Amino acid sequence: MDVINGLMQGFAVALTPMNLAFGFFGCLLGTIVGVLPGLGPAATIAMLLPLTFKLDPTGALIMLAGIYCGAKYGGSTTSILLNVPGESSSVVTCLDGYQMARKGRAGAALGMSAIASFIAGTFSVVALMLVAPPMAKLSLAFSAPEYFALMVLGLTMVVLLAGQSLTKALLAMLVGLWIAGMGTDLFTATSRFTFGQTEMLGGIDFVIVAIGVFAISEVMANMEPAKPLDMLPVPKGWRNLMPTWQDMKDCRYAFMNGSLIGFFVGILPGAGSTIASFLSYGIEKSYSKHPEKFGTGVIEGVAAPEGANNAETGGSMVPLLTLGIPGSGTTAILLAALVLWGFKPGPLFIEESPAMFWGLIASLYIGNVILLILNLPLVPLFAQLLRMPGYAMYPLILGVSIVGIYTSGSSFFSLGLLALFGLVGYLMRKLDFPTAPLILGLVLGDGMEKALRQSLMMSQGDLSILVRPIPLGLLLVAGFLLIVPLFKKFNSVRVKMVDPEL
Amino acid sequence: MKFTKTMCALAVVALASVSGAAQADWKPTKNIDAIVHTGPGGGNDVLARAVAQMLEKEKLIPGRMNVINKPGGNGAVAAAAIAEKKGDAHTIGFVSTVWLANALTTAEAKVTLHDLTPVAGLLVEPAVIVVRADSPFKTLKDFIDVAKAKPGTLKQSGGSVTSRDNIVRQALQAKTGGKWAFVSFPGGGERIAALLGGHVDIMVIEPQEAGEQVRAGKMRVLAQIAAKPLVAYPGIPTMKEAGFDVPLIPQIRAVMAPPEMPKDALAYYEDLFARLRKTASWKKYVEDNQFEDGYTNSADLDKWIKQIETDMRGQFQSIGIKTVR
Repeated sequence: MDVINGLMQGFAVALTPMNLAFGFFGCLLGTIVGVLPGLGPAATIAMLLPLTFKLDPTGALIMLAGIYCGAKYGGSTTSILLNVPGESSSVVTCLDGYQMARKGRAGAALGMSAIASFIAGTFSVVALMLVAPPMAKLSLAFSAPEYFALMVLGLTMVVLLAGQSLTKALLAMLVGLWIAGMGTDLFTATSRFTFGQTEMLGGIDFVIVAIGVFAISEVMANMEPAKPLDMLPVPKGWRNLMPTWQDMKDCRYAFMNGSLIGFFVGILPGAGSTIASFLSYGIEKSYSKHPEKFGTGVIEGVAAPEGANNAETGGSMVPLLTLGIPGSGTTAILLAALVLWGFKPGPLFIEESPAMFWGLIASLYIGNVILLILNLPLVPLFAQLLRMPGYAMYPLILGVSIVGIYTSGSSFFSLGLLALFGLVGYLMRKLDFPTAPLILGLVLGDGMEKALRQSLMMSQGDLSILVRPIPLGLLLVAGFLLIVPLFKKFNSVRVKMVDPEL
Repeated sequence: MKFTKTMCALAVVALASVSGAAQADWKPTKNIDAIVHTGPGGGNDVLARAVAQMLEKEKLIPGRMNVINKPGGNGAVAAAAIAEKKGDAHTIGFVSTVWLANALTTAEAKVTLHDLTPVAGLLVEPAVIVVRADSPFKTLKDFIDVAKAKPGTLKQSGGSVTSRDNIVRQALQAKTGGKWAFVSFPGGGERIAALLGGHVDIMVIEPQEAGEQVRAGKMRVLAQIAAKPLVAYPGIPTMKEAGFDVPLIPQIRAVMAPPEMPKDALAYYEDLFARLRKTASWKKYVEDNQFEDGYTNSADLDKWIKQIETDMRGQFQSIGIKTVR
């Protein structure tokens, strides 16, 4: 029972008062960082790194892991309350979370986001502990063709994110793909659509686009003089602010979906939590009994992506701890931290530094508990924010968005882009274009293009590289997802013809 | 290695000038801003934050050094940000070879290193060429032989087309007539995963990154790209020793300042980094990360950058990458 022994040893390390304090501090700081848009966990950890030299490495790692998890918990807060994604992985949470807030269910959305995060986060730590080595093999089996198929599968979700018109959704997605292609091309060093601007060489950060089309356009739409600036309803009483038992029942599959998808996507070095949250949202919608209600404020639409982005944390630790391969910006900095403290993160890490490994595992368990305890009481507090009158609320959204974008890139050019995409989002609203497909195209476009070109470079231009088992399977699922709505349509037509009463 | 001789010569000059330099009269009157071209956690950001910490710990500066991230455009945005501080005595920037490559290939990069004031060279980053541990290639020659016999069947994972990884490949291809594919991956982790997963055959990697993989028996080192053999890789031939004496472009990290920085301030910073280099913290940092010392003073850094740029332009043009400068 190596696992049990290891875990006991880990808890012994993590539960010392000092390390528990580090864990709590990390979780608290992470939550704050998550709530503030623009400042992400990667940047925070990098800035804190010099301070950790003087600390005990175990305590410091526990604190950094707390920041990593905490940021994922906190990211949903502004998404739900203000339609401003606090973290890139919380963009999808805006779709249903903000609509829930508009219906007076902000408390339920916030509470469910914490609960889903806890369940999926804990699941991913258990999975990390039990199946890390075989999963690491799977993550190495994934290469460019597999990533390409995964991204295609993601893109087919545009069918699910489409509103009334599939054509409009596809057009919005194409614009997203176009924006994703801007900047310096990795393969040829050619500049694409930079319009001669130095700032455009790095492409457009998708967080700017997301905050622009979600938050800024929301403010603009609410400024129309015809509409009275009404306050959002907020129910009174602690009990009415929490998710109900029915909510929990509605979300039971979402918890599972979020946990599995998040963990699986997390172990892949080339994917990331944003893709995980989009995928689990799409999957949640595709098997839902009432897919048409997604986007109008259903609780599964919050639980699935929030669960997925937390499960990604445990998943991303798999290649980091078992192979020494960082899959994301945050894990890359954790790797640098381990090196700086004198550890040797690599294939031998678990074997040679068991106290560190099991201490981290145990602290991830404890971190999730701390975060749940920390976040649930904050729910009513945050929900009160919505009692603010419109003349205070909308300037607040604008302020938070602008400060967030400025902190992430410290450039005025980004603010110009933010305004531009706010306007784009507003026009899309007026013309009844869905905005989610645009973001989807932007998130997946870059990775998909790279994966396809990498595949073809590997095979010397031979497309048959895409029919290896894993990509073929994923592409078939994608094809199936595309065809299903056609059948559903056909079926409804058929039902009408058979039953003249309808 | 073409740059070995230059390096030795530069080192001699550098040492002479350091010992001769008098303590400058000027001192910072407020905190120093250090501009880097990556977000927090990127290579130059980590370097700048480590330097900031060392400067404070060794009490080399009166105040603090703040790291300011100006990401975007592979250094172009940061270069513009430094140039904007024309004449300022409290701004410096940490630059790397990427800035040169980027300015050569992108017209949008309007400010280049020539517009800035060179302060001091800091580091040269060596690299090693690795294969998966179960690869049939025991030496670099084994690999090249197959690349010549079956051109196009082998693959290398790496970064951008203008990165050192690709320049090394191009130089080897030109010298030997072998041919293999270069697959670009944006992240370092993805490049390693592609090699370990058996999707590519070879890669150029930082010595420190490869260390643990080699120790765990997952990777084998075929050759090292370094002026002198690295302490951590005894018995591994350098490129020249392996029989492939190809022109290589050093991967450098250096400090630059805004245009028209006051003379006395420039002298202060030049001296500051000369003093930093002598501290125990710096020596440990260089050793831990398996870098090579690349200290040069301002005048030599200027010559060095011009030399690298000329070599790089030649390389790019010979392999068909369009240069704009």
